[in-house]
Amino acid sequence: MRALVTFVYLFLYTPIVLIVLFSFNAGRNASEFVGFSTEWYGKALSNAFLMEALQNSLIVGFTSAGLATLFGTMAALGLERVSAKTRAVFDALFAAAIVVPGVVIGIATLVALVEVFGLANSLIASVWPGEAPPRMQLGFGSIIAAHGLFTMALVTMIVKARIASLGRDIVEASSDLYATPMTTFWQIVFPQILPSVLAGFLLAFTFSFDDFIIAFFVAGSKTTLPIYVFASIRRGVTPEINAIAAMVLVASLILILSARFLMRDRTANS
Amino acid sequence: MSKKHHENAPITARQLTDEFMRLKKGSVSRRHFLGVTGLGLAAAVMSRFPGAGAFNSAAYAAEDLGTQLSIATWPNYHDPATFENFKAATGVAVEVNVFGSNEEMLAKIQAGASGWSLFVPTNYTISTYQKLGLIEELDLSKIPNFSQESQNARFTDQGKIDGKTYALPKNWGTTGFAVNTSKVKSPIKTWKDFFDLAQTEADGRAMVHDYQLTTIGSALVALGYDFNSIKADELAKAEELLIKVKPHLFAINSDYQPSMRSTDAWMTMCWTNDGAQLNRDMPEIAYILGTDGGEIWTDYYAIPKDAPNKAAGYALLNYLMDPANAVKEHIANGAPTTDSRVIALLPAEITGNKIVYPDEAALTPLEFGAAVTLTDPGRAELMARFKSA
Amino acid sequence: MVITQEFRKKLVTLALIGPAGLWLFVFLVLPFIAILVFAFGKRAPEGGYQAAFTIEQFANLGSRAAAFVNTLMLAPAGAIACLLIAYPVAYYLAVKAHPRHRLLLVSLVVVPFWTSLLVRTYAWMYLLGARGIPHLLELIGIENVRLINTPGAVLLGIVYGYLPLMIMPIYVSLEKLDRRLLEASADLGARPVSTFFGITVPLSLPGVMTGMALVTILLLGEYLIPQLLGGGKVFFIGNALVDLFLQSRNWPFGSAIAVTLVAVVVVVLMVAMRIAWRFAGTRQVDLV
Repeated sequence: MRALVTFVYLFLYTPIVLIVLFSFNAGRNASEFVGFSTEWYGKALSNAFLMEALQNSLIVGFTSAGLATLFGTMAALGLERVSAKTRAVFDALFAAAIVVPGVVIGIATLVALVEVFGLANSLIASVWPGEAPPRMQLGFGSIIAAHGLFTMALVTMIVKARIASLGRDIVEASSDLYATPMTTFWQIVFPQILPSVLAGFLLAFTFSFDDFIIAFFVAGSKTTLPIYVFASIRRGVTPEINAIAAMVLVASLILILSARFLMRDRTANS
Repeated sequence: MSKKHHENAPITARQLTDEFMRLKKGSVSRRHFLGVTGLGLAAAVMSRFPGAGAFNSAAYAAEDLGTQLSIATWPNYHDPATFENFKAATGVAVEVNVFGSNEEMLAKIQAGASGWSLFVPTNYTISTYQKLGLIEELDLSKIPNFSQESQNARFTDQGKIDGKTYALPKNWGTTGFAVNTSKVKSPIKTWKDFFDLAQTEADGRAMVHDYQLTTIGSALVALGYDFNSIKADELAKAEELLIKVKPHLFAINSDYQPSMRSTDAWMTMCWTNDGAQLNRDMPEIAYILGTDGGEIWTDYYAIPKDAPNKAAGYALLNYLMDPANAVKEHIANGAPTTDSRVIALLPAEITGNKIVYPDEAALTPLEFGAAVTLTDPGRAELMARFKSA
Repeated sequence: MVITQEFRKKLVTLALIGPAGLWLFVFLVLPFIAILVFAFGKRAPEGGYQAAFTIEQFANLGSRAAAFVNTLMLAPAGAIACLLIAYPVAYYLAVKAHPRHRLLLVSLVVVPFWTSLLVRTYAWMYLLGARGIPHLLELIGIENVRLINTPGAVLLGIVYGYLPLMIMPIYVSLEKLDRRLLEASADLGARPVSTFFGITVPLSLPGVMTGMALVTILLLGEYLIPQLLGGGKVFFIGNALVDLFLQSRNWPFGSAIAVTLVAVVVVVLMVAMRIAWRFAGTRQVDLV
């Protein structure tokens, strides 16, 4: 059994290690390792289009994860206070946001937004006094919205699980000591849920940063990092792509390890 | 570089007259003429007067170009330095979106709000864009670097509809096949050979394009039908052939360069520019035009009607029409130019390359893609069925 | 006084769940209504959508039967392949591994799942391509082996991509298992094999079901792995959808397929939950 487990770990990590290794290959030809070089990192970092894609991904990732964390946490807290019926509706919608395949989310958002924007743009154009009316179009907004849908559901689930594990007694004890609800929240509840909120944020950011298929449909004229990487893989002939891949891997690695560190107190039950 | 060579050589009276006549015909830019004839000092003087310089940043100061624009184009199709230089001259940063097929490009623009201020459609799509109201007539007064006289009409007429110019040519090219001759030994001359070998000697090693025009068109040609056919019975025969070949294919993918370079694939449908790039790096990969038919094409520049930054779109188009800039583009992507001013500037090893500039006889059997194939639901569905089969 | 406090409380609740509710409505419910409407429309002559009310798109679903069959075969096959590898690993982590190493080992399983699937799949494109494993085989005299762009390559990519998602829920259910039960079983003279099948397996079934459901559902909408490792020849529903929207521009048919895909996902999920409830009444779906 030990042998099998060792084999599985090798299976999981060999491809990742190879990518990182070959990103330091001095040769242009990826088939053999010629010598150590950081040339491809230099090439990748001075590629303006790649840097723009990275910047776009960071903007989308931070905004969508920030909004998803804020609204998701609020929802997790709010759902403690609503009727069972309302809670069931929200639970079903959150579950749907998680299980509906990304490709369908992308398509449905595209179809809906194209229709809405078409209507809105002709409406704006008809009432706009000037020459060039502003136009609504696909871009950051649509990617943030579509990513946020999934990640908000994710954050809500994580924070809800944490709240459920807190138990009511801690809150009730605080109220018994004549704390106001606000004081109770900030001093008792918030510090307790903070690690899961932060973990939720990091996971949301990681999802958004890695997502290809949803952005592929709703990005409009914007290029995110995965869209750029996908395009490079399709045409890719230089090891520059390995350097990009290695950097993406390391970035995700740091994020996920931070998330796990923050959630370490509940690792046992996840 | 030929230009440099000229600059250093003393010029004879005869050459001066020739160059002057070419200038008058519009086949060289004024700057090229001045450089060639050694009248640099005169050029320096002239550039102080408005309109004298073929291209300078002062000319753009009159209009606000904004800070950025997006262009939709094909992979490995531009010299990245072109956009850097454009940014240096105008302050406008260029975002490049690359696509795998015209069908994909049309799908994106039909989905509304592409965000492009310039894009590079192929000849057979222009009339559809015009019909759908997705592109607008070009204002040629904003593109003074374009010269109709130096263009080869064969490659430019599809940019015009009812006498109005909707698109200007970037370059032309052909669709043939690239074959790794160290792996495939049998002679291969026709599309019929291509599909035969794909099932025998190159079993599991052949690639076809991931869009309807050339994949269906080449299958039609292999069967002796017209490249652009939309006849139901002929398409049914083509589907039969494609579905028979499918299990033997290496991939259905228009991005064949990586697989050809790694020798995973041994032969593929291929465009001129990729053929030239592959052959340049790996001489054992030959680029062949089917003697039984195939495609000849021109890629154009057009401006979408809802372009967010039209002024910059025009400025970039004008910049790209300057032969001095276009020549670098052609050296980078390896596709043949439509502009005789650019040919004059190209080094001999490019103009003498038979992959880039084949003999006229090799071009005779080739056809331009027809507009109807782009929108024909029968061809679209056939392609989709072939892929999902 | 009581009323205003009650009202205030309601207001706070509304402010808390309002933004999430609005987001869910605008970007989940509305888009779904949109594709439902589109699914009953017609393809415009130049592609795109034309308003109509027809069931021709649903009637045409048969023309993508191959993609549906492919997906409905390879998704469960991939999930089962994951399960066969994941179960021993999860068992080792939960029962055999030294507690001191456990956290590290578990983290090492989770980490790959949250790193870019695109990049990890690209790594396999590289390994299975002519310069990877086939090149190594050539060195020992086995020539012209083709691994990439085959159903096997897609299956391998699936197992690689989704193995962590299968290991985790099984690990969680095994970890909760009360070890005294195993000891009691041994004390009562049961052989290890019968303890395993009589106690361990039944108690881990909720985790197995969660893993199977998660992996199967994600695979039903998979696009990247077949695209990159299948060479456009191994077609999933996800690939058919991308093709319909980004190549043939048949929005109504694409919408009909998307609606059908969602229906398939819901059915798979309900069946999985039914089975899971029957065995243990757990509904835990933990991705982390």
